[in-house]
Amino acid sequence: MFTSFFYLLRHVGIPVSPTSFLRLQKALQEGLIISIDDFYTAARAILVKSERYFDLYDQVFAHHFEGAELEEPDEFELARVAQALLEEWLKNPKELAEALGVDEESLSKLTPEELLQYFLDRLKEQTGEHHGGSKWIGTGGTSPVGHSGFHPGGMRVGGVSRNKSAVKVAMDRRYRDYSQEGPLTQAQIGEALKRLRNMIPVGPRDEINIDETIYQTMKNAGEIEIVFDRSLKNRLKVILAIDNGGWSMDPYVEVVQTLFNHARAQFKELRTFFFHNTIYDNLWEDPARYRKPHKVDELVRLDPETRFIIVGDASMAPYELMATDGSIHIEERTFKPSHERLRFIAATFPYAVWLNPKMEEEWPYTRTVGMVRDIFPMFELTIDGLEKAVNYMMGKK
Amino acid sequence: MKVESTNGMFTGASKYVLDEELAKIVNISMALEMPLLLKGEPGTGKTMLAHAIAEALHMRLIVLNVKSSMKLVEALYQYDTLTRLNDSRFGDSSRNVSNIEDYIRMGRIGQSFVSDERVVLLIDEIDKADTDFQDDMLDVLDQMEFDIIEIDKTIRAKNRPVIVITSNAKKDLSDPFLGRCNFHHIAFPEPDMMRKIVTVHFPDISRDLLENSVKVFYGMREFRGVEKKPATRELINWIRALEADPDFKVKNLIKGDIPYLGVLFKKSPDYAVARGTVSRMRI
Repeated sequence: MFTSFFYLLRHVGIPVSPTSFLRLQKALQEGLIISIDDFYTAARAILVKSERYFDLYDQVFAHHFEGAELEEPDEFELARVAQALLEEWLKNPKELAEALGVDEESLSKLTPEELLQYFLDRLKEQTGEHHGGSKWIGTGGTSPVGHSGFHPGGMRVGGVSRNKSAVKVAMDRRYRDYSQEGPLTQAQIGEALKRLRNMIPVGPRDEINIDETIYQTMKNAGEIEIVFDRSLKNRLKVILAIDNGGWSMDPYVEVVQTLFNHARAQFKELRTFFFHNTIYDNLWEDPARYRKPHKVDELVRLDPETRFIIVGDASMAPYELMATDGSIHIEERTFKPSHERLRFIAATFPYAVWLNPKMEEEWPYTRTVGMVRDIFPMFELTIDGLEKAVNYMMGKK
Repeated sequence: MKVESTNGMFTGASKYVLDEELAKIVNISMALEMPLLLKGEPGTGKTMLAHAIAEALHMRLIVLNVKSSMKLVEALYQYDTLTRLNDSRFGDSSRNVSNIEDYIRMGRIGQSFVSDERVVLLIDEIDKADTDFQDDMLDVLDQMEFDIIEIDKTIRAKNRPVIVITSNAKKDLSDPFLGRCNFHHIAFPEPDMMRKIVTVHFPDISRDLLENSVKVFYGMREFRGVEKKPATRELINWIRALEADPDFKVKNLIKGDIPYLGVLFKKSPDYAVARGTVSRMRI
């Protein structure tokens, strides 16, 4: 039955659904699983749906089956599973009925109490039947396994020989590298940015426009007139302005680079500018910020539909933002305070956002973050934040 | 590996080295009649697995290459209005213009449903399509039927195909999707496994070349600053190149003289990095 295994998996945070657990029961019932090794692989394929949880699964598996005697599930545990089944049933009766192999209609006639009892009976019946099976697995798993050979470090990639027992394979923690705690990667950013697009017809006319074809054919008194259209391609214009100066941005260099690399691969029209702390008269096209200035005033010439993304921690001395001539760079003299410049950009590009690599809970501690937030909608530079920002930028204005 | 198929169980194919764990998962998915979702680095043989299953079990393989703009209905069937329009205008075809069914063409999923024998259906790179496509498609695969609206007909699968789905995405697919699949993540093969894979492709390879090329290959995968690491496919092509070169000597490889880097590193910045690292190694 392995109910406690199921709960342990859920307890450590692996999203295992009762339906998939039932499916595992079905596999056990059909005699597809005949050893603990089979159980290890089958249970993982059926229950765990992401490689990020493989490492956790390995740990739970090793913990649970290493030397453990398999116990009969008690009444209370069964009741909990039955309850979970009932909830699943309410959500999706069809799927569950299929997994159980029973008729949906005959079940739907029962009251919730009866249904609960029914599930309970089914579960007991299954433990009974599988007593032999689980014991088999229990002994198979425990006796030949020793404690030796535990490798706390490193990932065992792939796998050829499986003459190790499953518990030992699990103890190897081969999937450690895939667990969830990791920096933002290019692929993740790609996923988030994928939805940022603006489809525009380009290329050869090779798609048939049915409506127009019918209309033109009718107009032509039945002589067929086929009308072709261009297919749609993503032609969204994006400007990325990156704060690349000063020590305050240093910890975030890598994450910003990833974003930048990906954006470059993704968009046909991407312009990148650099600034330090905040924007004054000029943005810079070169990362060193002295060779190629681009006047902020000239941004008006660009398409207002352009998505303007600013990346920076928005952390600076308040005067840098508010004072006329606020720049900390001696050669950068100006008569307009930076916050006016920022407002100008926000007014020019209705789809502008500020991405902040600092986490949201840190924002209130820096005054200038609040000031910038008054001008631009601000999002965290994380997958969630990026997704929110994309939503915002694709929203109707 | 030889082509084997005992009692319809999958045990491997002629050009595919199967690890035991994966074989179990394939067999259990087939027994439970569930789609198998495969993830993993490019070049770990996700797509090859479907080919191998088809070969080993003597089934036809139908491949649906998912594209980003694809709509589900294209994978099911297509109503060829244009041909019908033309036929009705010119009337010189053998098709019956008043019978719409003559103009329905089955898409990949449709083909796998109407096939008289059981087939392997490979849905390649599902992550390219949007989530709606994925969820809708699973409904179809779950029910094993779909409707052709134009002729008001339901197509039911004659035989439940063996379904293999691959995905490259780092991000997880939607929950309802995952709920209906079995899942496996193929890790990059270890050197031992890689040697087997190479031997399958080059049965007469010399031991020297095998050992050293694999060793050098894994060394090169560790080069710093490389964006796209060479994968199995690159290694096999590289060995093919080495074997074809009459001037090549294995001992040069040990010395750090590595030819044909372009076969392994296909992006120009990567190639430059690899060149630099290799030349430094030689000194």
